[in-house]
Amino acid sequence: MSKSQDELFRVVEYSAEAAERIGYSDYSYWKSVFQNFLKKKSAVIMTCIFFGLVIFSFVALMIGKYDYQHLMSESSLAFTAPNSEYWFGTDNLGRDYWCQVWYAAQVSIKLALIVAAGECILGVTIGCIWGYVRSLDRILTEVYNVINNIPMIIYMTLIALVVGQSFRNMAVSMICIGWLTMARNVRNLVLMYRDREYNLASRCLGTPVWRVLVKNIFPYLISVVILRLALSIPQTIALESTLSYLGLGLDINTPSLGILLRNARNYFLNYPYLLLFPAVIVSMITVTFYLVGNAFSDAADPRNHV
Amino acid sequence: MAKYTVKRLLQSLVTVLVIATIVFLLMRMLPTDYYFTEDQVMKLTEEQKNDQLMAAGMLDPIGEQLLRFYGQIIRLDFGTSRRIQNGQPVVAVIGSKFTVSMRMGLISMAFSLVLGVALGILQTRNKDHLLDHVGAGYTILVNAVPSLVSYSLVLVVGSKVFGLPSLYSTRNVGESSVLPIICISLSSVAYYALWTRRYMVDELNKDYIKLARIKGMATKDIMVKHVLKNAFVPLIQYIPTSLLLTISGSLLAERFFSVPGMGPLLTDAITRYDLNVVQTLVILYASLGIIGVFLGDVAMMVLDPRIKLVDKGGTR
Repeated sequence: MSKSQDELFRVVEYSAEAAERIGYSDYSYWKSVFQNFLKKKSAVIMTCIFFGLVIFSFVALMIGKYDYQHLMSESSLAFTAPNSEYWFGTDNLGRDYWCQVWYAAQVSIKLALIVAAGECILGVTIGCIWGYVRSLDRILTEVYNVINNIPMIIYMTLIALVVGQSFRNMAVSMICIGWLTMARNVRNLVLMYRDREYNLASRCLGTPVWRVLVKNIFPYLISVVILRLALSIPQTIALESTLSYLGLGLDINTPSLGILLRNARNYFLNYPYLLLFPAVIVSMITVTFYLVGNAFSDAADPRNHV
Repeated sequence: MAKYTVKRLLQSLVTVLVIATIVFLLMRMLPTDYYFTEDQVMKLTEEQKNDQLMAAGMLDPIGEQLLRFYGQIIRLDFGTSRRIQNGQPVVAVIGSKFTVSMRMGLISMAFSLVLGVALGILQTRNKDHLLDHVGAGYTILVNAVPSLVSYSLVLVVGSKVFGLPSLYSTRNVGESSVLPIICISLSSVAYYALWTRRYMVDELNKDYIKLARIKGMATKDIMVKHVLKNAFVPLIQYIPTSLLLTISGSLLAERFFSVPGMGPLLTDAITRYDLNVVQTLVILYASLGIIGVFLGDVAMMVLDPRIKLVDKGGTR
């Protein structure tokens, strides 16, 4: 004889603790991102090298025997090969090269980080609006086409001539042009995701627009934004060096990679160390950042999460 | 197709006109002091400066200047260069410079197409093996290291190890062009290799390739007749533009090796207030860019008959 239902099942008291144990998943977006990232040993090592370099650039300026602010030209010391007094030798004016190289590396990193942050904020904001607000699409596309079709060197030259050359102007003008690519990438993604069913449902339920953007769409943008940032940092450093080399970048008193190589252009065939030190340090910075950015962007893609 | 071409070219004409107008207005933002040489700025009085500007029509209202500029464009009169080459017609200035840039550009392009596509094919054939990693390493290095640094390295290696001239000279064109050409090619080799590999790998994973393998087609035939041909379709879009824009030269490479080409012309013209040269160059580059994209579309259509530029209607 079978037991009745009352005997088989028993009603339990509601317990908040037990309810949480069933409904709780310990998935957290950023935790998975870091877990995925840490799995890639090469990327982790690269990150360490990058931060090591940045920290060392400060240490290097402190332990150097000469201070950048008080460098003296001393023609009798010109082109001293690296030795215990001048660790990287001296340049054509007899100034210590060690502090110039590290100072230039710092300037380059600082500029690249500021430009990347600015590009990111401006590009993502405009990109979201561009992709989400249908009536603005035509106008913004036209603006994009016009700005993008005029050679960038015209803007940079004009800004250098009209506003003047300084670190701040350089950063602002690079941000003003750099947001274009970021905004375009973001816009294409927003267009792809804005009309998915779950967003339609959200909108029907009366979710405010900002919340749809931040909660539903933004997670898909993160990996692309990070990839774009990782590419933008080497590009900014390269652009800065090119412009400074052409005399359109930073003013001559701010040492940067471009200025150093511009000064050394006529000499480094005979004194290769003038090229070697800045080249190796800056290449290490850009290459590590490029690789780390790629790895991090892979890790940030939610489709790669379990 | 004819109707589509005409419509598209007319649209492009408007785009070029808008670009020309914006550059015209941007250039008017330059302080008028740049109109004079440094000597003149020091010596001339304000009145003399004003007289000269007045005579050149620089002080007329912007609208009037703009109308005059449109008139010139319609008559295809690009004016004369003021300070790049005194009094020479702009067309002659460009004519004297573009051959140098274009010759180097074309050689570099042929070189990088052959080398880049070959590298891409090799990488695909040896996917995830040594050669693939070497190619990927090259691409990363070229993309990440600032070109000023890589040009400097090419210069040091080229002149120290191979004894090549470190500056361009008109007396020894052949030898002194080698290093600039290598520098210009560095990034385009990486570009072609990267995308050839990417598109070929994508293509290799498709079902029809598996079918071709199953029915016993030789790997070589599959690679050449199917994979490479299909992978080349998106690449060819880019080729006419870069072919046409070889005329513009490379700013950094030409400055670096003192090549008397088109590269530095634009910035020089801006810093010397040579407005006619700036405007002509902008119109030239914009038109060539637009024509290039159009030719690229046509080339893509020729290579892949499935691509149609003209919407037939109802086919979807």
